[in-house]
Amino acid sequence: MGEEKEDFEPKIVGFTCNWCTYAGADLAGTSRKKYPPNIRIIRLMCTARIDPMFVLKALLNGADGVFIGGCHPGECHYIKGNFYSRRRIAAMRTILKQLGLDNRVQLHWISASEGVKFADTMKSLAAHIKEVGPNPMKDEIL
Amino acid sequence: MKGTELNYGDLEGFFKGLLENKVVDALVIPRRVGNGVSYMLVRNKDKITAPESVIFAPSFGVNAANIVKGWMIDEKIGVVAKPCETRAAIELVKLKQLNEESVLLITVDCAGAYANEVYAANYADIGDQVDSGKIKELSGKGVSIRDACAICDNRLADVGDIALAQANGEKVTVVGLTEKGDAALTAAGLELEDKELDRSAENEKIAAEAKASLDALPKVDSEAALEEFLRDCIVCKNCRDVCPVCYCKECFFDQPIGNPVGGDLLNLAEARGAIAVPANQLMYHLTRVYHVSTTCVACGACEDACPKDIPLTRFYPVLTKKVQEIFEYVPGKDVKEPLPFTTYEDDELEECLR
Repeated sequence: MGEEKEDFEPKIVGFTCNWCTYAGADLAGTSRKKYPPNIRIIRLMCTARIDPMFVLKALLNGADGVFIGGCHPGECHYIKGNFYSRRRIAAMRTILKQLGLDNRVQLHWISASEGVKFADTMKSLAAHIKEVGPNPMKDEIL
Repeated sequence: MKGTELNYGDLEGFFKGLLENKVVDALVIPRRVGNGVSYMLVRNKDKITAPESVIFAPSFGVNAANIVKGWMIDEKIGVVAKPCETRAAIELVKLKQLNEESVLLITVDCAGAYANEVYAANYADIGDQVDSGKIKELSGKGVSIRDACAICDNRLADVGDIALAQANGEKVTVVGLTEKGDAALTAAGLELEDKELDRSAENEKIAAEAKASLDALPKVDSEAALEEFLRDCIVCKNCRDVCPVCYCKECFFDQPIGNPVGGDLLNLAEARGAIAVPANQLMYHLTRVYHVSTTCVACGACEDACPKDIPLTRFYPVLTKKVQEIFEYVPGKDVKEPLPFTTYEDDELEECLR
């Protein structure tokens, strides 16, 4: 809250699946692709491991943004995990939308070969969250 | 559709017939308690007296589906209830919390209901039944139906196995909605004929009224508004316990991780500087609204049960309705339709993800 918008560095919690987006992030790193260091990645085996409560917990504890990355639909290592996850995150975002919080949560499909896409997504996400501003819940007594 | 018309006075015989002919082993059916209404579980047919004076009563105390939740039994139970209660029971069947073969769902028309205590206090004015005209008249006198009922657009009996419809002023139209329902009616000794129950005009009128009431309902539309809205919540979890579609055997918020005490709370307070207590107000309600997001039948039992009188109808049914819209899912409409979280389509919902 006290931070000025210009020097506000958002903290983004990222949930990435082991097989695609985490490998994509790895590729971005080994390819020396530069992206803003705002994301804190938590590696899961599949996006379907994400209980939407994780998203809530992150937001209520003051994360400025939540990023979820998984395999492209149809390319899930576990065949259909990301299809289920898509429904869950869509439902959770629909709830958050009615409370004006959905703009802090994004799901992207990024494959293991898309290191450049991962870096670009991080750039646009960090810029977007900077635009949205700090999460007011960070300083609230919740 | 097959069915017949009964006089109101014949209903007693009809329900007794269901028990007598072993169509059901027991009935969950409303009963009169003073001027109010409650449910009873009946096995002896002689205990049923003048059901016509109570089954259409515009009163809501508990959701009948919550009574039979988790009854994985072989005996067959007839449940005489309002459409929202039947829809909740159908969701429970899909959630594997109720054995489809062990229930016979008998749905009655509902014009909207008063909270049971309001109904009992104003019984002299309200009477055994109401129609929309009467509801408007009473609302002028300051006696209003529940918010959940005002925003409900599923008031006519069109789900379950058997419908008891008040399509024709003097009589009750009894129709079977499923094969099981038809068989039950025949076994109960009714002569069935072809019967069409087309109430689309009536439904349109109800939908328009419901929409107007929903638009008029105060909104909880930001995180700050939600915090204010939940300020008095004591996290007693009554709303969970009376919710027909909240069914986890072990609730997250009854476990140590969801219900931190002592040192755990101190640690959390250390991390954030200060935390609100009772803890997890927001987390509890936001988690619950997600958990019931596709199955909430908008019965409003949560609001009735809240000891702090938080108007939860502004939260649960309103937020879940939008989720149900993205899946084009109406809970309790069709027992064959899969739950949204158990199925998927290859290409969908991309507009809801970022």
